[in-house]
Amino acid sequence: MEWDWDFVWQIMPTLLEGFKITILATILGALVAAVIGLALAIARRSPIAAVSRTVGFVSEFIRGTPLLVQLYFIFYVLPDIGIRLSPLVAGVIGIGVHYATYTAEVYRAGIENVPRGQWEAANATNLTTRQAWIHVILPQAIPPMIPALANYFIAMFKETPLLSAITVLELMNQAKSIANSNYRYIEPMTLVGVFFLAVSLLSVVGLRWLEERYARMDD
Amino acid sequence: MKTRILTTAVSMATLLSIAAGVPAFAADDKLNDLKEQGFARIAIANEPPYTAVGADGKVSGAAPDVARVIFQRLGVKEVVASISEYGAMIPGLQAGRHDAITAGLFMKPERCNAVAYSEPILCDAEAFAVKKGNPLKLTSYKDIADNTNAKIGAPGGGTEEKLALQAGVPRDRVIVVPDGQSGVKMLQDGRIDVYSLPVLSIHDLMDKAKDPNLEVVAPVVGAPVYCDGAAFRKQDVALRDAFDVELKKLKESGEFAKLIEPYGFSAKAAMSTTRDKQCTAAQ
Repeated sequence: MEWDWDFVWQIMPTLLEGFKITILATILGALVAAVIGLALAIARRSPIAAVSRTVGFVSEFIRGTPLLVQLYFIFYVLPDIGIRLSPLVAGVIGIGVHYATYTAEVYRAGIENVPRGQWEAANATNLTTRQAWIHVILPQAIPPMIPALANYFIAMFKETPLLSAITVLELMNQAKSIANSNYRYIEPMTLVGVFFLAVSLLSVVGLRWLEERYARMDD
Repeated sequence: MKTRILTTAVSMATLLSIAAGVPAFAADDKLNDLKEQGFARIAIANEPPYTAVGADGKVSGAAPDVARVIFQRLGVKEVVASISEYGAMIPGLQAGRHDAITAGLFMKPERCNAVAYSEPILCDAEAFAVKKGNPLKLTSYKDIADNTNAKIGAPGGGTEEKLALQAGVPRDRVIVVPDGQSGVKMLQDGRIDVYSLPVLSIHDLMDKAKDPNLEVVAPVVGAPVYCDGAAFRKQDVALRDAFDVELKKLKESGEFAKLIEPYGFSAKAAMSTTRDKQCTAAQ
């Protein structure tokens, strides 16, 4: 087995195509996780027991089952009841909702960290619950949790190769198909590793910056 | 330090003796190794009737059945099969994970360059499974390339995937399908318009699926009949030659036909062609 640079340049465009899909899936998945996670966290604090219990159960369920199984379910089983999603959409929903159950915990911690006095003050100034959430609680709760959220998004990015199981042509799948037709694994798989490592390392630098910027609000 | 020089000298000597010895020496070695360990590791795909794994884990299918008989005659008692993607078989063989590939991996020039094939064993044409009435009127890989809405499903690294890509179907319309059942499901769900496999595999799959809304287009226009053979590592040519000798005997005695015809394969097709013809065939 020898490293072949010509082969590397030959497969680079195909891998970049796959890499675009990987990035796209990560960004969309992160958006889904950020929005649904917040909704889950708020719903879980609902005073109506039925709502908070149901949401709690659903999150536990999603967190307690493997992402790969969920992806297969969304992709192969949902069409039986008439919901046919494209591979990428199915993948984004699968990975986004899965990670939403984790980000929900981050949100919960952030929200619980806002002193009770803030709620009382909001009530005292006659704000509605909605206004209290939007103008008082969330603006204080969200900045400290940004680094923790970003951490989950990086973890999610590294899970995207699972989408190759439901035929999304992302980086891993492209690399596999290159290996399949050229009988060479060393270059495509090494490059997949390099791509992921490059983005992860950059993200770590970004994460440090976010931590400096947001994590210590009191300073 | 002294020991290292000694080891180097010994290994150099071994290398030289291997290089100097007749090729049969190395191959006898390989065959002896297999005899000694009592089994040969083969790569299969679980695509009936070529290769199949029963619910009880028993390996059957035409390709492993032929391999089992021949290896037994060579003095290797058992074959141990592992399921692999088509594309991963040749790299797996080269990496020493398998001793042979017996999976209906059709001979194509680029594969012949990568491995040492036995003489032809199983021959088949290509087929499409489509929705009833063939709504997109697809009868060749070229038709799929020309219809910008048509999506084809095929096993990753299999002959069908390559044929589709060669015919000019863009990568994003060639969907890699992990296994036969998923292929049928994706066809039923409308995720793909065509699922392509060899004729006998498609028929086997359709028999199992029993879906009146699907039909078979066979053979695919413009795709020739392909034959597979047992594939060995390039350096195991002598093992391949020993395999060929037994295969020839099997073919001549008529046992070969008895082994593969119940699965629907034609022994005549395999006997009327040769490895050289298949490996140099245009396409």
